[in-house]
Parts: sequence; structure tokens; C-alpha cells
Amino acid sequence: MRYAFSLEVVDLDNQAPNRNRRESRYFWDEMNHLVSAGGFHRVEVPYEPKWDFGGRSGIPRSMRSVTTKFGTVANYMAYLKDNGIEAIDCVHLNPSLFCMGGMPMFFGAAGHYGEEAIAFAKEAGCKVVTLSVTPPYSKVQGILGDADEKGFLEGVKELVNKLAAEAKKAGVTLCLKNEFWGLLRGEKITEFLGRVDGDVKLDADTANLQIAGADVKDVIRANRDRIGVVHFTDTNFADNDETWKSALPEFPANRATRVFTDLGMGCVDFPAILSLLKEIGYDGPVVLNPRNSTDICRSILRAGYFADTVVKE
Amino acid sequence: MANHIKLSHMSHWKTIPYKQIDNFRDYYYEDKSNSCYYEDWDRILRYHKATGYDGIELAPWDLPEILGLFKTPAEYTAFAADHGIEVSGMFHGCDDSHIAEKHGEVVAAGRSAVDTLKAFGGRHLNTCPGNNYYGNGPLDAEGLKNIASCLNEIGEYAEGNGIKLGIHNEFFCVTNKENHRQLIELTDPRCVHYCLDTAQVVLMGDDVIDFYETYKDRICTFHWKDTADLGVADEIRYAKDVEICDDGHRWFWEPGEGCLPMVELWKRVAAHGFKGWVTVEDDGAPDYLAAMALSSYYMKQVLGKIYW
Repeated sequence: MRYAFSLEVVDLDNQAPNRNRRESRYFWDEMNHLVSAGGFHRVEVPYEPKWDFGGRSGIPRSMRSVTTKFGTVANYMAYLKDNGIEAIDCVHLNPSLFCMGGMPMFFGAAGHYGEEAIAFAKEAGCKVVTLSVTPPYSKVQGILGDADEKGFLEGVKELVNKLAAEAKKAGVTLCLKNEFWGLLRGEKITEFLGRVDGDVKLDADTANLQIAGADVKDVIRANRDRIGVVHFTDTNFADNDETWKSALPEFPANRATRVFTDLGMGCVDFPAILSLLKEIGYDGPVVLNPRNSTDICRSILRAGYFADTVVKE
Repeated sequence: MANHIKLSHMSHWKTIPYKQIDNFRDYYYEDKSNSCYYEDWDRILRYHKATGYDGIELAPWDLPEILGLFKTPAEYTAFAADHGIEVSGMFHGCDDSHIAEKHGEVVAAGRSAVDTLKAFGGRHLNTCPGNNYYGNGPLDAEGLKNIASCLNEIGEYAEGNGIKLGIHNEFFCVTNKENHRQLIELTDPRCVHYCLDTAQVVLMGDDVIDFYETYKDRICTFHWKDTADLGVADEIRYAKDVEICDDGHRWFWEPGEGCLPMVELWKRVAAHGFKGWVTVEDDGAPDYLAAMALSSYYMKQVLGKIYW
């Protein structure tokens, strides 16, 4: 199994002590060394055009940022190699930022930045782009207007097919991530995959599937020939009161908790999942993602320990 | 005797994801870190009151999450009031205001910002007049007039709604050292005021004392902060993405931690008899709680002994 480490470990959106450092390039220069020292030399890049709008090009999460600081994506990749990171295994675009102002705005921006993320992946030599297939439920309700969820999902289908064609041209595999807060949460993704371009694959994200109430192994079995990337994410969270429908589902309003834990600190059955992935002959990338850490260095080291013990080959 | 000055703090906290954390002790024990101290509005507002602030200035980029948690501006305002905090104002950016064809769009966005601020019960719409210099400057006379025209129209609407529009000129803004005073002259003094950001004008290369004396009748509020960079070179101010430095260099410091003549300026403020909101802006501070406390101490214990 080929493990990559997700740079989603760094939370840029929410308040935390010393958060401001995360907007400067020096922080990211050092991140490469920390990730490498943790035993990881392949990474996932969250593609976040949000920082383009404030001119935060020190944050290497978009084509604009990378070309502003390094001139070309090729230069950036050479810089990464010089700093302990050999490859980008996955690029993740979550276009929920654009879920405002109505459906045309969302689909227009998601399409534009989806193409940009694919172009970035191609230039970076990355073979997988994973797309958060729908924004959170509550955000979608805010842009439906006269349409309904079915109509919205038709738009998603069109978007996915359009991006799949772009991905094919670029030699990249488009995958779909279904967070537990989305319209295609849990097992619903299987039926949706059957309705889009056959080259589109599933991003099997363990904690998101589990929180949505799915049996992770069943979802993997049902899509055994369509898994393009696996995310090992961990959780102890059980969504017993429809937190997935709330405005900020990663922060349960009724009882504050860390929905996503560091790897090995939650209750996802990774040995069983790993065994199943081997059984079905999965040989693609596996991204370890201790998302939105409150202690980044600790999360990297915990993930290294997890890779060396819980999911060691 | 009532104070002349009300102290506010510009909200540069990033998204605060909880309205109120009731299971604080349990949440703390999950990872035994201090993160949980910075994740709910209940505590953030308590910190404002505890460190001596009367108000908070909202950042428009936080509004989707704030409204997600509070549903309506009125509910947020009431929650803040329960903590003894008022909404003093909101920041706004007039992107594309130099482009004549964008006039209608820019004015509509400005009016919408006025409506939003009014719904939150705030008074000051502190408004960056235009885009960044990079990619847009230098402006010709027409471009500057277009900006003034947008500000005048938004300002008139604001005034009619009890809101003060104050120009807030960033040091990397398309209106800059060579023309920011000219912009003030082009705007209508009846409805376009000035939010004096003490650090930004100095970073631009202006003299803050002279600026204050020249425009004191236009100044409706302050962003009070310090800097250690007196007059940043053109090639830096006009470059791409200069607000955040690659090496972590800070443009802004808490009052008293930089080099500005704060006492001298405050004496001028006192002599003029300014009354109203003064907002501390701690952007770039690594620890906002410490920065709030440090800033409040300086404002009240150093400047406050001269005038308050």
C-alpha cells in the first residue's frame, strides 16, 4: 500500500492559537520538512482558491499561489523534491466555498476551479483529483431557490461528467468524495456513481462513510472496481441527532467534539479495511488524513506511528 | 461623567465554529489543548468584555458562518449585548470601484453592506476604497474620480441609514501615497468620512500627525494600531500579495509595541475633542487574546490617562 499524507492536517479556516503563521510561506516551507521527518514523502494537496482572493499566495493550495511563488508547477515540484516530498498523490477540491448566491454561481465556479485543479494535477504529475461531490446539506438548501435537491443533483451529475472529460484529457482520474454532511452521504454514492461517466471513481473516505451510517467495508465491496483513492480518516463521532444537516456539521452544536480524530485515536476498524483492500486487489494511493489538527506536529507523528503499526504492510 | 471614547476590537479571529460550548470541560479533555478556548462566540465575547472592550467590528468574510450559527443579525447582536458588547461597525471593500462599467455593481454591493451593518446595529462601515495597487495601479484621474463617485453614492445611502462610511486606505491599495489625499478631496464631506488607520497611513509614507491635523474634521472613527515600518518602499507596496510576508514579517503591532507617535497623536485627538468609537486592530498578532489585553492596557492605562 502506498501511503501519502494529507496537508488538510492544517486548518486554515477556523480560529486557533498561532493560526496567522499558516498564511506565510515560511510555515509551508517547514511543513515539508515536518511531513518528511514523520516518514511521509508523498502528499495530498487540498486545492483551495479561497486564499487567492485575499492574495495569500504563501499558502501553496492553488495554481495562482504556486505560480506566484515558484513561477511554474514544475518548479514547485522540484522544490518539493529538494525538501523531502517526492510526489503529490492526490489533489482534493471542495467547491463548497462557492455555494452561495444561487446554483448558477456554484456550478460555474465549481466547474472553473475543477478544471484548474485538474490542470494543476496534470502539471504536478498527480494522477488523482478528488472532488467533494456536494457541499454540506445546509449550504445546498441556501442556494436551491425554486429548484429541489433532485434538480441540484442533476447539476452535480453534469458537473461531474464535464470534469471527467477534462480529467480524461489530462490523464487524471476524477474521484468523488462524499462527506457525511453532503447530499450523497454514505451508501448513496454508489447509486450516483452508476449514473455518471464510467471512468469516475470513488474516494473511499473511511470516517466520512462511517459517520454517515454506512458499513465502510460494504461500500468498498460494492464499488470494488471503482475505487480511485482511499482516505484513512478516523473518528469517534456518532451522528445521533442529524448534525450532518446543521450549518457547521464538523462542529456539532449540541455537544462540542472533534469529529475527526488523529489516526488511531478513533474507532474506525482499519485492520479490517486494509485486509479488504488487499483482498480486492486495490493498489492505488491511500491518503492518511488527520484533518484539521489542533496540534499539527503531533498529528504527523501519530500518523507515522499509525502507518508503522496499525496499517503496516 | 460619561466617557468620550468607546473601545472596540476588529474581529480578525477566523471562523468561530460554535455559538456556545456547554460541555467545555469534556471538550477540553478530548485533547487537553487550549484550542477549545478559541472556538465559541460565548467565550470570544467574554474575552472582549473582560479585556475592556465595549464593541466588536465585524469582518464581512465571517458573515456566512455567523449567520449559520445565529440565523439572523439581530440574534447575534442580542447575544453580544448579553455579554456587554455592541457591534461598532463592519469592514467593507469596494473592489473594482475604479472601473466605470462596474459602478452600478460596486454601489449595489456597498448598499447591501450598509443594510447588513444596519441589521447588526452597527454604525461604522469602514471601507477600503478599491482593489490592490498591483494589477490596477497607477490610477489615472478618471479612475480616481470613479472611486470617489462610488464612495459618494454609497456614503449618501449610508448617511440616510444612520451609518458612517469611513475611507480605510490600506497601504497596498490602488489609491496610495500619491493620491489618497486627493481621493478624500474628491468625496463629499457630508457623507464620506474617514476611518484613520494609524498604521496604514504611515506604511504608505504619510505623516500621521499632519494627516490627522489636516483631516480631523472628516475622521469619524479610528483603527488604532502600531507599526515598526515607517514608509514602505514603492516597490514593496505596489508588488503582488504584499499584505502577508513570506518570512512572517509583521506590518502591524499592538499599540505601544511599534514606533508610532501614539501619545502625540492622542493629545491631538483630545485637543480636538473626538467622541466615538476607537477600534483596535490586531491583525497579524499570533495570539489574539494576549494582543487584545495588551492593546487594551495601552489604550486605557497610557492613552486613557490623557483623554478618554
